[in-house]
Amino acid sequence: MGKTVLIVDDSNTMRKIVTRALRQAGIDFDEILEAGDGQEALAVLADNKIDVVLSDINMPNMNGLEFLKAKAENPAIKDIPVVMISTETGADIIDEAKSYGAKGAVKKPFTPELINEVLGPLI
Amino acid sequence: MLHTKIIIDSTQEIFSTMIMLEITPGEPFTRGKEMLTNSISGLVGLAGTTKGMLAIHLPNQVAKLITTAFLGLEVEEIDEDVRDAIGELANMLAGSIKSALDPKGSDIKLSMPSAVHGEEYSVNCLANTQSFTVPFDLDGKTFLVELQLHMEG
Repeated sequence: MGKTVLIVDDSNTMRKIVTRALRQAGIDFDEILEAGDGQEALAVLADNKIDVVLSDINMPNMNGLEFLKAKAENPAIKDIPVVMISTETGADIIDEAKSYGAKGAVKKPFTPELINEVLGPLI
Repeated sequence: MLHTKIIIDSTQEIFSTMIMLEITPGEPFTRGKEMLTNSISGLVGLAGTTKGMLAIHLPNQVAKLITTAFLGLEVEEIDEDVRDAIGELANMLAGSIKSALDPKGSDIKLSMPSAVHGEEYSVNCLANTQSFTVPFDLDGKTFLVELQLHMEG
């Protein structure tokens, strides 16, 4: 059965670049869905079967850490793995993200190989 | 100089990793309040233990070239795609510079990126700032990466 990834980033440019990097990394998703912030991501998760989420941290309305917290409180979606993909990858921020359930982090700028290395074990 | 080395390393890493365009750094200088013409600037504010602003200033032609390489699509004018791409470029630069200045990541806060453009405009941050600016050559054209830092006292 095909897998579905959700890309969460307020930048349309970055969503396109992540999509391209997934293809270049050879990761075969049947469907790639997008959301512009944490609130939109929660709505997408509620309405779709998502296998893995790639989320930015620094976003308007609901940032990536707030999204992780809200997701962790919802039993229906709390176990869907999330990888943070952000310019913000300092140890303190990543530790906080992992305390809310994030499974890994990719620092922008990134290569397709790095995406594959972090995402591969989760799918 | 530490700050100009951080600017050069961060900018070259982003261009080689994600934009796939070759750039060459020039001699760093201190930019005054000169007007920018027919350009677009991506801006990110820094707050916390280090205050200031990161800016990338690109002539329109260079901004369109970078957006085309970034997104893999041709752009004819400075539209929403270009503004978003240049804002995201500033965001990645600010993130890389923050990583160098604040490895743990909790002492400096970054603003959301923004982009301004026009026929003639100026970009200034705060009073009492020190500016570190590095010019880069891209295909015979020049763009600038500028870090303005607030100096205490």
